[in-house]
Amino acid sequence: MLQIENLTKVYDDGTVALDNVSFEVPDGEFLVVLGLSGAGKSTLLRCINRLIKPTAGRIIWDGEDVTAAKGDELRRIRRHIGMIFQEFNLVERASVLTNVLSGRLGYVNPWLSIFHYFPKEEIDRAMRNLERVGIANLAHKRADELSGGQRQRVGIARALMQEPRLMLADEPVASLDPVLAHSILRYLEQLNREDGITVICSLHFLDLVRRYATHVVGLKDGQVVFQGLPEEITDQRFKEIYGEEAERVTIT
Amino acid sequence: MERKKSPVLSSILSLILPGLGQAYAGALSRGVSFFLGIVLAALLVHWRQAYLLYIGIVIAWLWNVWDAYNLAQEKKLSPTIPFILIALIMYIIGWGVTQIDLERLFTNVADVKPLVTSLIQPAVLERDIEQLVAEVKFESPCSDSPPEKGTPSPDEPYLILVDKTCGDPGDTFTVTGGNFWPSTKGYIWWSNLAGEMQFRVRYQGDFLTFQTDEEGNIPPTTVVVQEPFAEAKGKGPQLYRVQARMQREVGSPHLSQTFFLVVEKMLETIFLALMATTIAIFIAIPISFLAARNLMGGHSVTMFIYYAVRTILNILRSIEPLIMAIIFVVWVGLGPFAGVLALAVHSIAALGKLYSEAVESIDPGPIEAITATGANRIQTVVYAVIPQIVPPYIAFTVYRWDINVRMSTIIGFVGGGGIGFLLQQWIRLLMYEEAGAAVWAIAIVVALMDYASAKVREMIV
Ligand SMILES: Nc1ncnc2c1ncn2[C@@H]1O[C@H](COP(=O)(O)OP(=O)(O)O)[C@@H](O)[C@H]1O
Ligand SMILES: [Mg+2]
Repeated sequence: MLQIENLTKVYDDGTVALDNVSFEVPDGEFLVVLGLSGAGKSTLLRCINRLIKPTAGRIIWDGEDVTAAKGDELRRIRRHIGMIFQEFNLVERASVLTNVLSGRLGYVNPWLSIFHYFPKEEIDRAMRNLERVGIANLAHKRADELSGGQRQRVGIARALMQEPRLMLADEPVASLDPVLAHSILRYLEQLNREDGITVICSLHFLDLVRRYATHVVGLKDGQVVFQGLPEEITDQRFKEIYGEEAERVTIT
Repeated sequence: MERKKSPVLSSILSLILPGLGQAYAGALSRGVSFFLGIVLAALLVHWRQAYLLYIGIVIAWLWNVWDAYNLAQEKKLSPTIPFILIALIMYIIGWGVTQIDLERLFTNVADVKPLVTSLIQPAVLERDIEQLVAEVKFESPCSDSPPEKGTPSPDEPYLILVDKTCGDPGDTFTVTGGNFWPSTKGYIWWSNLAGEMQFRVRYQGDFLTFQTDEEGNIPPTTVVVQEPFAEAKGKGPQLYRVQARMQREVGSPHLSQTFFLVVEKMLETIFLALMATTIAIFIAIPISFLAARNLMGGHSVTMFIYYAVRTILNILRSIEPLIMAIIFVVWVGLGPFAGVLALAVHSIAALGKLYSEAVESIDPGPIEAITATGANRIQTVVYAVIPQIVPPYIAFTVYRWDINVRMSTIIGFVGGGGIGFLLQQWIRLLMYEEAGAAVWAIAIVVALMDYASAKVREMIV
């Protein structure tokens, strides 16, 4: 269970990216964060694994205060929170296998890992995870030789190396075309249903939200403007989240 | 609209001081340009005493008055005429200052010919030299017992005196001889008895030569008695050796000593560049992190370090390596070590800047992703930062080594070691064929380095 309490983030330049945000995410949920660009989705997700330090408020995960964690404790918490990104954030010049193995850095011996040494069992684990996302044959290619869809699958495999109990996905399909978007989201859905990993995913398109979400939080200007089930988002609600001038765009 | 500007006042102001009227009419930068352009041009004309050019200045000045008049009425003229005038004055003065003299290009062609010829035929190959020598003794001035005339030998080269065996400086005597190579040119040499002072005898400015007949006999040749060597002056009668010498090249051509010397010095040059580049890498890497804005930003102390390092790098980079080399030659003495230091310091500055720009342009995405996995700081640097900066670092380093090889060839001109030192000496001694070999070696090595570094950079990026 993830509890977010009165979370506020004010950037150094005074931008209020999150304004008193509170909600709860029970285990096993596929929560979609919906909102316009600039609504604060990325900031929210990055506060959960503390890539960004919140200005005020608390994040409690399984009874542990993430916002108070420091150093080794913080790294131990991060270890169990996988994250995938819109721009994939792979190390372009490294091999796919190295990229996937780097997801395990929080577990392995740090000194050996500096010399790029990983035990055999970790390499086997990496290959299993690559198989799971269907690209084991690309293990020895350089990441920059891959297509967008393949890269995001490497991103998922890297996150799976963490044996995550929570998966953060920051607009994971915004850089992909619709067909690939579905295939990536289906992997996330599978992880959610079969492995019981809680997923928090920010998305743009309502159709995708309806198809994959079990729960939705709508953000606007850093504030929560909607909480509920995906089928509760009527056109009226949609306009509240996206502004009056918004039109529903269909994605198939 | 602000208050009206008076065209008359404006033009009077510009007449007193160029540009003042323009400034009054609200075009400050135009006014400053006119002022600087006209005043500087006038000063230069005055300095060169090219008074005819004042005509151009006066025209530009009047145009400036006219412009001020128009500007006050909000009319902006295109300043083409004064611009061309000032430019013309500058070029005329520049022509004079740089002493451009196209005529000399044609009248002095002959002087450069031996140099160019030597460059085309560098002293890379040479053949062994075989020499024939025969001598007689001659006395100057005469004593009571002058030396023998010498005797013909049946099978060895010989030289004999024909008319006299002694005489005063300025007198002439005749020599003849035999058993030399037939139909070959030879020279007469003059030396003291010990043989350590010797020179080729001249006759009316040119070397005195003889030509043997088909049997190898030297025809009677007239030689002038030479002045005594400095240490024999006033010491009375002295014996001298008069020699006939002949030389020819034998055997097949082989690599010359010059060639081996050039190769040795070229290697020294390449190593000089290698050492300088390597030293620079080790110092520039830590410095580059201190000079990267994305790493140092966000805190006033680190920002201060950032600006301090940047400033030092900029200053160091603006000092030419040649000047740096002069400083280090004074500091550590002539030789390659001075060159290594000079190039190293310059390279630290250049690489420090390039490296830090590579650090500044890394993608923060992978850093974020690796941090999110629970990796510690060192792991994040190893997995997310280093892979991004290694390729540009290698590319910049290879490029720098290439530049350093190029620079180390000339750093020897000021005593910094390497092939430049040799080249500079040979040019001074007018040994153009040897200099040619050095020039060729430099050209070949620089071209190869250029090619290799381009290839390496291509492979990496
Ligand atoms: N590093 C930052 N510094 C200052 N303002 C930022 C920074 N990152 C994001 N913002 C601002 O915070 C707001 C929320 O941004 P973000 O969380 O990226 O929204 P979203 O992901 O929904 O597009 C935006 O107004 C954005 O401009
Ligand atoms: Mg975002």
